[in-house]
Amino acid sequence: MSRVGIPRSLFYYYYGEFWKDFLDSLDVPYIVSPETNQDIVNRGIKIANDEMCLSLKNYLGHVDYLKDKCDYILVPRISNFKNNNQTCTNFWAAYDIVKNKFSVNLLHYNIDLEKGDTLKKGLYKIGKELNKNKYEIRRAYRYAYTKEKKRIKKNHIINVNKLKLKTIKILIVGHPYNLYDDMIGKDIIKYLIKNGIEVIYSDKFDSKITNSLSKKLSKDLYFKYSKDNLGAIVYSQKNINGIIFISSFPCAPDSLANELAMRKLKIPYLNLVIDDSTSFTGLETRLESFLDMLGGTLND
Amino acid sequence: MKDCYLGVDIGSISTKGVIIDDNNKIIASSYIWTEGNPVEAVRKLLDILKEELPKGYQIKGIGTTGSARKLIGLMLKACIVKNEITAHAIGTLTFYPNVRTILEIGGQDSKIILIKNGIITNYAMNTLCAAGTGSFLSSQAKRLGIDVEEFGDYALKSTNPVKIAARCTVFAESDLVHKAQVGYPKEDIIAGLCKSVVLNYLNNVGKGKKIVGPIIFQGGVSKNKGVVKYFKEILKEDIIVDENSHLMGAIGIAVLARRNKTGNVYSLEMKNLKFITKAFECHRCPNTCELLKIYRNDELVDSWGSKCGKY
Repeated sequence: MSRVGIPRSLFYYYYGEFWKDFLDSLDVPYIVSPETNQDIVNRGIKIANDEMCLSLKNYLGHVDYLKDKCDYILVPRISNFKNNNQTCTNFWAAYDIVKNKFSVNLLHYNIDLEKGDTLKKGLYKIGKELNKNKYEIRRAYRYAYTKEKKRIKKNHIINVNKLKLKTIKILIVGHPYNLYDDMIGKDIIKYLIKNGIEVIYSDKFDSKITNSLSKKLSKDLYFKYSKDNLGAIVYSQKNINGIIFISSFPCAPDSLANELAMRKLKIPYLNLVIDDSTSFTGLETRLESFLDMLGGTLND
Repeated sequence: MKDCYLGVDIGSISTKGVIIDDNNKIIASSYIWTEGNPVEAVRKLLDILKEELPKGYQIKGIGTTGSARKLIGLMLKACIVKNEITAHAIGTLTFYPNVRTILEIGGQDSKIILIKNGIITNYAMNTLCAAGTGSFLSSQAKRLGIDVEEFGDYALKSTNPVKIAARCTVFAESDLVHKAQVGYPKEDIIAGLCKSVVLNYLNNVGKGKKIVGPIIFQGGVSKNKGVVKYFKEILKEDIIVDENSHLMGAIGIAVLARRNKTGNVYSLEMKNLKFITKAFECHRCPNTCELLKIYRNDELVDSWGSKCGKY
């Protein structure tokens, strides 16, 4: 039985659970690469071009880790979500880069919703490639889809409930592949939680709601994930004490969207840009002083 | 015996120490170069302060700030260890309760702090790039063969500052070399550099921030008259530079030390203190963290740098 490798980066943080449910239901074994560690970062740097963003470098590191541990690697390309909702060009490029840099079998998951594709179509292609029949695929898709819908609803409710709390609340704005990556955002979030801050994640809101809310900050933006993030800001603005932006160096959509948000914000914010050499000491200084400011410990 | 409080600000380039009394009066202060060795710099600093401290005072609190604050905090058994942004804000508010904007340019970093009614409302610090900070100015001074302390005087002589790319240190440096080789006079180049520091600061940390007076400029670079002049010119506001502007972080942390005093009495005598650090790389997992173990009088007091928290 062929085994599928899933790199724990980029799209994994959006659709990982969805894919895993789908493959589980199809009875296909899979392996997910481990949390990003120094070894994976180093592998990525070796393969990547120096102009790529840290997240894409890490992605290539994850693929490199998986290359001889599975028969297929799932490298999706979702280039467009319709209605002026593009993904970052790095997401488009990842598939071609992997195809040219590694001699591995890739699972085809190239979809463009603008051209009539759907997430469903993509998964059907995968199912066929893995020699499953139509009925099995349909069952697996339905199973995964129902679970995914429930997950989105649950995450949204948790976030909304957090907004009602009376403690100090910080909205973390960033892409989930940066926020939850062990080498990028995880330490920052750990630090906040350790200091008693209620953390609200921009990506945990239902994107159906946040995507359209983003229009209040900008009507021209066309990056889907940036729109979701800005929408999360609009949604929670009145109920939070501060915002922390986390992005990887040199993220192009973030440099545009975050900047735009910062200029229009009326509440304190902190902008953190992470590179592979960023030491936590420098971040700690910024986080500590940010919390000092929010907590009012400066003003006795 | 009267009580007094020591604040130490250990920056990347310079180490500052201040002793204040209960009325925030500075009774001893010193400013020396860190020279890449914070522990030795602090030993030297305490020796100087010991000489300066008048008789009849006892130290009731020690605070540390600056990039080596944790290390020196352990060394001196400080009662408070705080980041430099908080320290600078507290220090400035002690002397200027009406301040609205604090501009700060240090050796490796630059920050802006916005204050309203004595409450900090926002701040920013440089992110990845150290362009336009003190270390850039001192390396360019070396290239031009003059002392960084004379920089301001040179800049004031110029009537026609040359244009130097302000965005990036690397571009600024190549611009500077070109301008020098083409034959521009030194004053104009130095004035151009000072101006580029200001522009860089306003475009980087000051970006999108509303800068209102009273404005206070501090950090080592505030001693550079050229930079002050261009801040005034570009912001079209008066810029206050306190005579102790370079000590503000140390003053702030001394004030915080007073607020957090524990009742202990501290000594400035460090001669018999053995304080060493040992670095090693852990190979238990693929992260290969660089670890640092800190020994105070042969006793392991702390270790830093592990991701998993095992050490």
